[in-house]
Amino acid sequence: MIPIRVLVGVLGMDQHELGAVGVAKMLRDAGMEVIYTGCFNTPDSIIRTAVEEDADVIGISSHSWEFLYYMPELLEMIADNGLEIPVVLGGSVITDEDTTAMLDKGVAAVFGSGSVATDMIETVRNLVPAATTP
Amino acid sequence: MSADSTRSGIELKPVYRPGDIDAADYAERFGDPGEYPFTRGTRGHTGQGWIQRELSGEGDAQRSNEQLKYLMSIGQTGLDVIGDSPTMSLMDPDHPLARYTVGTQGVSLCRHEDYRQLLEGIPLDLMSISSSTPSMFMVASLYLIAKERGTPPEKLRGSVIEWPFYSEHCSYAYKMPFDLHLRMSCDVIEFCTEEMPRFHGFLEDTYFFSEAGLNAVEEAALGFVEIRHIVRTLIERGLDIDSFAPRIAILTNCSMDFYEEIAKIRAMRRIFARMMKEEFNAKDPRSQAVNIAVHTSGLSLTTEQPANNIVRGAVQTVALGLAGVSALEISTFDEGYRIPSKEAHLVGLRTQQTIDLETNINSVQDPFGGSWFMESLTDEVETKILAMVDEIESRGDPAELVNSGFFQQFFHSTMGRYHHQVHGGEVLKVGMNVHRMPAEEDTLLRDIGEEKISPLFDRIEDIKAFRQDREQDRLLSSFQRLHDVVQTEENMLEAVIECTEAGATMGEVAGIMRQAWGAKYDPYGYLESPLGGAQ
Repeated sequence: MIPIRVLVGVLGMDQHELGAVGVAKMLRDAGMEVIYTGCFNTPDSIIRTAVEEDADVIGISSHSWEFLYYMPELLEMIADNGLEIPVVLGGSVITDEDTTAMLDKGVAAVFGSGSVATDMIETVRNLVPAATTP
Repeated sequence: MSADSTRSGIELKPVYRPGDIDAADYAERFGDPGEYPFTRGTRGHTGQGWIQRELSGEGDAQRSNEQLKYLMSIGQTGLDVIGDSPTMSLMDPDHPLARYTVGTQGVSLCRHEDYRQLLEGIPLDLMSISSSTPSMFMVASLYLIAKERGTPPEKLRGSVIEWPFYSEHCSYAYKMPFDLHLRMSCDVIEFCTEEMPRFHGFLEDTYFFSEAGLNAVEEAALGFVEIRHIVRTLIERGLDIDSFAPRIAILTNCSMDFYEEIAKIRAMRRIFARMMKEEFNAKDPRSQAVNIAVHTSGLSLTTEQPANNIVRGAVQTVALGLAGVSALEISTFDEGYRIPSKEAHLVGLRTQQTIDLETNINSVQDPFGGSWFMESLTDEVETKILAMVDEIESRGDPAELVNSGFFQQFFHSTMGRYHHQVHGGEVLKVGMNVHRMPAEEDTLLRDIGEEKISPLFDRIEDIKAFRQDREQDRLLSSFQRLHDVVQTEENMLEAVIECTEAGATMGEVAGIMRQAWGAKYDPYGYLESPLGGAQ
């Protein structure tokens, strides 16, 4: 089976990388292929990399409120480019209210700080139709 | 951390006995507080406690100035300021990448006027002014403000952090070539030594990188690798060790591993003393005695059940009171979400004050001194720190290790490890991975934590307008001079001060330095240099 390819990155000037690195490792350990893009990404750079690397899912980690602005931009650009890549958002700063707002805008799933690893892995798997649980 | 070992993996016995320590050589290994090797404290008993402060800075300089005055009004005895993400990364607010984060996670500072506003009404000669903002720019403006106010710069107290080794890969990137960042740090230290001798131009900040999931031993070891390298560089410049070493201080973390954190601080004082005396031949006892300030661990806190964080801050403060530290800030209960709110500042400071004033904690210095357990643990922590320093240095020139990505890789491994430890339940966090409660019941203090600070879009426009309003000839000639100075071995501070007075912004000054060094003016590729030429 071809492994699921997940792009993991952080947007803007947010430089708290622990969550992103931790999730990248977790997904890798679950058998997925992770394209880790680190910090200082823009929606544009995320999309370019996602296309180049043929990512199945985009995962954004956030420890700043920049996601409030960047996520809608990212989703809009994905739509404008005719792409169909689901975007997942994670981070401890995301409140329940933010989660609702992000889901409304089209984010596929949102994970707060207490999220359970198995749930996150399962959710990512379910976002990729061709993938089946090994 | 299991029940029978520390976070650094030191095994603990259920009971300690006299045979667990070698109590001989009291003077050589312990000494009274205030005496070499300063294991028990850098000063004799004063009963005074520590400088109490809370991390502050949000919005623009004026809002942060109000915050500082509020903190002073409720009894803060020192200042501690952090910049927003762009400021911490040498980026001006009108940089395209800064747009959504101006003033949201710290104060936005980019020009002399901002620093003036930030410190308006703060008595510079009476208040210890510490900051995690880029050191060169804080020092340049602080020096100028002191002169403007008629306060002799030699009376200034406080500190700035130097972090050339690790900031690039583990916190706020300057996007500077390593050698240039190191030179900036050394220039600041040298300048402070000459012009602001009471000010700590070299605060080794082990806090920020230890938040990448490092344990106590790793934190201290990486700190000493950096201290040694900077000290060696300063000595190579021709500086006398005793001219600057008295103003080296360390800012450490304090996690929830209560005993090990106390042992770490005791061990760090002893390692520093011996390093200065034996390796660098420092003669002045002040050069051997390092003040340790502490910021309690933000990583140990949770967004779930934020009231539990108040307990964590209190427990860590007790540990630090017992260890004997010179200053501390508590990471506040809303840390998981934001920089401290007004309510969290109040609780943080009141926690410190309660422990300071109600518990008699300062009545005896180093109360753990002579404890079979604590002395044994201090010895073990010390041995492990020194072994790790040796191990890292045996890999080659530490500066090369920075450039080769060794430390970046190391931080990624510790981040992954910590994430795994928390998600696997190896590190217990009440409210997060044990004793959880349904989200709808977890409401206490959450509203405060979840309140957001909006980015300062107006400030972006203000800074753009400000740029047009400067005396361009004077500005350009100050840039040209800085460009020339960077290409010599001269200390850059004077040229930076000249730029600052001419109205330069931090982003411009940093860009000119990069350009003169042969790097890109704007590492992100958006901006052009005012000097033109190769970008």
